[in-house]
Amino acid sequence: MSLALEICRITEEQVGRETLPRVREVGLLVGEDSGVEPENLEFCLQALLDHPPFEGARVAMSLDPGDDLRVTYLEVDDGGSTH
Amino acid sequence: MAVRRIEVRERVMAKNDELAADIRRRLGTHGVTSLNLVSSPGSGKTTLLERTLQELGPELRMAVVTGDVQTENDADRLARWTERLVHAVVTGGACHLDARQVGTALHELELADLDLVFVENVGNLVCPASWDLGETAKVVVFSVTEGEDKPLKYPKMFRVARYAVINKTDLLPYVPFDVDKAVAFAREVNPGLEFFFTSALTGEGMERWYDFLRSLARAPARA
Repeated sequence: MSLALEICRITEEQVGRETLPRVREVGLLVGEDSGVEPENLEFCLQALLDHPPFEGARVAMSLDPGDDLRVTYLEVDDGGSTH
Repeated sequence: MAVRRIEVRERVMAKNDELAADIRRRLGTHGVTSLNLVSSPGSGKTTLLERTLQELGPELRMAVVTGDVQTENDADRLARWTERLVHAVVTGGACHLDARQVGTALHELELADLDLVFVENVGNLVCPASWDLGETAKVVVFSVTEGEDKPLKYPKMFRVARYAVINKTDLLPYVPFDVDKAVAFAREVNPGLEFFFTSALTGEGMERWYDFLRSLARAPARA
């Protein structure tokens, strides 16, 4: 759960607090030797992303052989039309 | 609807590692060695520390940062032997200490007056392996009442540890624990692991552990 909270903190640092409700997807890279159980982390993180200030962002995880654990990207909905 | 993608590539541990590096600098400035004690619950970390503080206390200036989750039990036991005892602020249910908690706890100690700091981590062989607490080395404690295949079940912990204490050796005649097998399994995941065999209860094997701690106190960079 502390890792999930840290991922939320990184997200906030990247987009700013007021933008958190518009985060649509959080991309993660999870290494097999990172000591993290992917399903467990996804469960914790999704529970946080389903509640304010988030509004139901998705978790997108890609697995990797190493021991890395990273936030790789964030998708933010800026609203309006694309023209 | 315009969805914007922001590339981040930030390591989740980056902030913790930054704080851990800061702790390492602070300890290094004062020549203090820090040992991060990790184990499953009930391996005897607290008893090992109690005896160490009691018997080596007159010689070395030792402090303990403890991360007991729900109770003050460990802290109460250790407080009998040292005044340099700090509780890390651990929220209920947390499975490990992090560098922020340890960094804050260390502010309670006069580092210039110390030789050694023990960080008694939360009893768990998974999560604490991932968190750098600015320690000189991790010491994994496991006892002969556990399976000798612990190193194979929790390889990451045995890989990141530099020292292993096999504790409760007084119980060896009563349990099927195979010491040679345990050592072989541990060396399979970490060939460089150095072992100590102790009974913190009877004192057996403690002298070699004390010699090791004395050597760290004399030459902190060696650990």
